[in-house]
Amino acid sequence: MPEWVVVFLVTCGYLVISLSVGLLSGRKTSSSTEGWVAGDRSLGFVVLYFIMGASIFSAFAFLGGPGWAYSRGAAAFYIIAYGTVGLVPWYFFGPRVARLGRRFGYVTQAELFAHRFRSPAISGVLAVISIVAFVPYLVLQMSGAGYVFEVLTRGHVPFWMGAALAYGVVLVYVFRSGVMGVGWTNTLQGIFMMGLAWGLGLYLPHKLYGGVGPMFERIMREAPRMLSAPGLGPDGSPWSWGAYSSAIAISVLGFSLWPHTFMKLYTARDERTLKRTVVFYPTFQIFLIPIMLIGFAGVLAFPGVKPADEILPTIVTSIGISPVMVGLFCAGALAASMSTGDALLHASASVAVKDFWMPLFQPDMPDRAERTAMRVLVVLIGALAYAFALFARKSLVALLLFGYGFIAQLAPLAFATFFWPRATKAGALSGLLAGFAVTVIWDLVPSLQWLGIRAGIYGVAANVILLAAVSLATAPPDEAHVAEFVVS
Amino acid sequence: MDRRPRLFSSRLTRTERRVYGAVTVFFLLAFLATIWPIQAAFGGALPFVLSLPFDLFYLAAILVGSFFILLGLFVWEGRREERRRPNGRADDADATRGGSA
Repeated sequence: MPEWVVVFLVTCGYLVISLSVGLLSGRKTSSSTEGWVAGDRSLGFVVLYFIMGASIFSAFAFLGGPGWAYSRGAAAFYIIAYGTVGLVPWYFFGPRVARLGRRFGYVTQAELFAHRFRSPAISGVLAVISIVAFVPYLVLQMSGAGYVFEVLTRGHVPFWMGAALAYGVVLVYVFRSGVMGVGWTNTLQGIFMMGLAWGLGLYLPHKLYGGVGPMFERIMREAPRMLSAPGLGPDGSPWSWGAYSSAIAISVLGFSLWPHTFMKLYTARDERTLKRTVVFYPTFQIFLIPIMLIGFAGVLAFPGVKPADEILPTIVTSIGISPVMVGLFCAGALAASMSTGDALLHASASVAVKDFWMPLFQPDMPDRAERTAMRVLVVLIGALAYAFALFARKSLVALLLFGYGFIAQLAPLAFATFFWPRATKAGALSGLLAGFAVTVIWDLVPSLQWLGIRAGIYGVAANVILLAAVSLATAPPDEAHVAEFVVS
Repeated sequence: MDRRPRLFSSRLTRTERRVYGAVTVFFLLAFLATIWPIQAAFGGALPFVLSLPFDLFYLAAILVGSFFILLGLFVWEGRREERRRPNGRADDADATRGGSA
């Protein structure tokens, strides 16, 4: 049997298992919108831990991470840097979010913010920002799946078919089981990808150089600039500290506020479960170390691989390991892509209905119609992202940073919601719109980005200034209402 | 209405306020340590530590340090809630609300 067929069959086996787990896991939740979106607020530590870990670690970490380490050296360390503190805000405001969700029945992020500021417009703006950020992120996941299939089957399964196969499975279990499908498949996928990352991260340097130490010693001798922060820019010249630091800052600001992960705060069984998940999150994050090792393993052994995001599948198919192992690797990489893609798809549909359509056009939509609309949107948004993946492929990490610029605009709003009672609806809305507009303008005109500082940072600065100035210039909000949300 | 941001609950004791303040400062410093100019001071590859370039080890150490600080806070909060329960001073929700920083 040709090797690519073995790889393909092993990968299909993984897809069948994922599909089964995804379909079976949805049987225990209620048929309400709360069941489909928030899993009836019943998730325990293990599932929540893997949802968080696997949703955050995606094709970006699994393919983009080694790709950056391979092509840009220490620049890739920024991915570890922002994760060190990125989720910590959850420890402090997460329990409050969960409690408010229970009390007022929220299942999405914008429902909370819109209620705090009594503004359906904020809900609409957040829905637009979220979906604009989700689509490139989802495209990135689909592109990752397509790349993996294409490279590992040596082109026998083309990009379009690989992406369609993986995301066909995702679509079915998200459509059927909602967040429970996402949660239990993420548990399976998280275990798989962690095992694979540690296995390959330690095996490849040993196989190619005799160990991690000897690998770095050789790189230090032959390409020393690769190992010193802030590493290299996209063109191979030294990256600026401004670009490196602002990539970290914008990612830290946005990390805990991605709507698809923020929504999971509502799914926790209780507050201690939620805090425990945040505490143990670094045990997932540390797996970025072997991910970096994989990328560095390719620097001297496999020069000239383009695009750099394909370095991991390229190494795996070039070192003569058995096709079954290659198939398992393919499954692990798909797990990374699918475990984020499913959460994004699920959140996009929920946000579009709960945060855009309902507050602006049909506030009294029946529960059953809500759930049906969300399911239809799962299919439509999946199709849209697939079309982008086929016709607008860009570097995986560049796409992610584009999304982070928008999501970081939620940071001032979140701070004002929980910690600043004086913030008003007009201030929140003007801050958001200004932040969004400045980010778009600075992204479209790169010459405005002084010292390589990312567009989102300028957006956040404008956002904070407008939020504070307009809030102080307008009448204070109702104190009793605000007291429900703000630290008392 | 108060114009200033409210970071800590007014119901926290002095000790609780110190603990949450110290943890907040730690994470602020941890963030600053990952960007310019502090990271630049530790941005070299040498010496290798545990076979890793120093700048990579440095970030891994911050990550591990963050884990233990938050774990310590979690355990401390758990014990505090245990102590409060028999006296009926606070339920779980109140304790957590008091802990919001």
